[in-house]
Amino acid sequence: MTDYIDVDVRPILRAGGEPFSLIMAALDRLEPGQGLRLYAPFKPVPLFAVMADKGFAHSAQALDAGEWEVLFTPAVTATKQSAPACSTPDFGDWPEPVVRLDNRDLDPPEPMVRILAAAEKLGPGETLSALLRREPVFLFPQLEKRGYHWLGGFSPDGATYELTVRAPL
Amino acid sequence: MSYFAMALAWLFVALALMVAGLGFPAAHLASPDTLVLVHVVCIGWLSVAMCGALFQFVPVLVAKPLFSERWALPALGLLTAGLASLLAGFLGLGGRLPAWLWLLPLGAVLLVGGFGLVVVDLGLTAWLRPVGPARFVLVGLASLCATVAFGAMFAFTHAGWPGSIGETILTSGVPLHAIAGLGGWLTLTAMGVSYRLLSMFMLSPDVEDRKSSMTLAAGALAVAVAVIGGIVAIWLVSGLNVVLSIAAVLGLATAALYGRDLIGIFSGRKRRQLELNTRMAVLSFASLAAAGLLGVVLVLTGAFAAHVGAFTFLAVFGWLSGLVLAKLYKIVAFLTWLETYGPVMGRAPTPRVQDLVAEARASKWFVIYYVAVWFGTLTLVAGQASLFRAAAAMMTVGLAGIVREVIRTRRLADVARSLRFPDGACAPHLLFARA
Repeated sequence: MTDYIDVDVRPILRAGGEPFSLIMAALDRLEPGQGLRLYAPFKPVPLFAVMADKGFAHSAQALDAGEWEVLFTPAVTATKQSAPACSTPDFGDWPEPVVRLDNRDLDPPEPMVRILAAAEKLGPGETLSALLRREPVFLFPQLEKRGYHWLGGFSPDGATYELTVRAPL
Repeated sequence: MSYFAMALAWLFVALALMVAGLGFPAAHLASPDTLVLVHVVCIGWLSVAMCGALFQFVPVLVAKPLFSERWALPALGLLTAGLASLLAGFLGLGGRLPAWLWLLPLGAVLLVGGFGLVVVDLGLTAWLRPVGPARFVLVGLASLCATVAFGAMFAFTHAGWPGSIGETILTSGVPLHAIAGLGGWLTLTAMGVSYRLLSMFMLSPDVEDRKSSMTLAAGALAVAVAVIGGIVAIWLVSGLNVVLSIAAVLGLATAALYGRDLIGIFSGRKRRQLELNTRMAVLSFASLAAAGLLGVVLVLTGAFAAHVGAFTFLAVFGWLSGLVLAKLYKIVAFLTWLETYGPVMGRAPTPRVQDLVAEARASKWFVIYYVAVWFGTLTLVAGQASLFRAAAAMMTVGLAGIVREVIRTRRLADVARSLRFPDGACAPHLLFARA
């Protein structure tokens, strides 16, 4: 029987925060064989692939009001899976973002220009986070060419896309 | 870019034919010369441009790479060769070339091959995440298959192969071929793509899935009724009137629902100042509405059959061609900007996308084009063939101006010299885009 540590990211997300580092911190505290029970205001799909790469299987259950309870259970044989919206499997040690950009009300392609400009100023391994209106599909290849990693997903109402970019080490 | 260049070349061919007075309205609607003109416009210009746009756009819609990048160029080759063969076959039918009727089936086979590659490539890509606009593309591709199937059957029948069934379908199936092509493939796909492009350029929230699926359902139903009902009606020899009336009502409903969605996008926009591509797209929406209205008036006055040419002309050149030209203007600018400045962005000062274009100058050409199209529609309704040629000449002038603007964009001619090539940026090739 696996026992689970509870992590509730609903208040953080409601306050407009970025819960990723908190989840990763909780993950570091897990004893071998322990799992993670996550409460989120939306189905955290991008996280599934990240967790799969870390050797956790997930089972998601819808709660009332569109909220979700997700159980991440350590798999005996971790199945490698490619993440749909991220470029690297290793997210464990991402630091807090040093830059936060709100690009939601900028004309395209200004958000992309700003993110790339800010990314150029990051030190090795540092991260930035950005809020956007859309999935920045044209930005991803540019980030990839420059060796950056990223993680992104939509907020529960689908109106804001949260992107975290990490400079190469 | 190769698709766009090829498409524009065919559009010039079509306009030259119209100015020269080849095909409708100088000739009968079903004459071989008209067939030449119609297929130059629908395959050479609209379909090729649409395929080129979809190869760029479907990966963006579904946020996945194209199933196979390498198929795009062979597909263009097959389409071009197939169209050329088909046209030569039509010219043979009309006695302008030796009657090598085997050219028609050959053209059909080549076109089936070319469109087949496109359908499989785009279909497999869109299938990965069939949400919102991607579903319009899937229905459009299905309609394309129906269109091509009809067309291939006609081509083989002209060459004398499939016997009596082919003859029956050739005599009454032409409207179904046209509806599947213009309505299903070109119009529904253009609608789907416009949803995303408009909300992107105007910073407007996407249309709710529920609303756009209603529009799509009405459109898909209209095409399905026309095609499937049409085949059944031909089978039963019961005449197409009932089926076509139902399809027409559904088609009008689709246009109305689309109009409702567009108003939603426009009123929800964050960006007050509209760019040229959006302002010109509005003129194409107006043309779609006008075409719908014209259709209704013609049906009510019992003159639809006599003026189907005017109706089709307005739909093809006002709505579809206008929208494609307006969006092409923006897409070329954006892709050129991304190609040239993407690699140096954030490292050196780069121009904005808007610095690549000169909207004030370009809008003049667009206005000339649209006015010419509307004038041309009126001359068709009034039956003035020589005035129509003047309108076609005016359209050619407008188009030449637009193409010149697009080439200037591609050559970065309007970018201030000091900004044009920051360190590491290199000039884009006119016809080939580097990935």
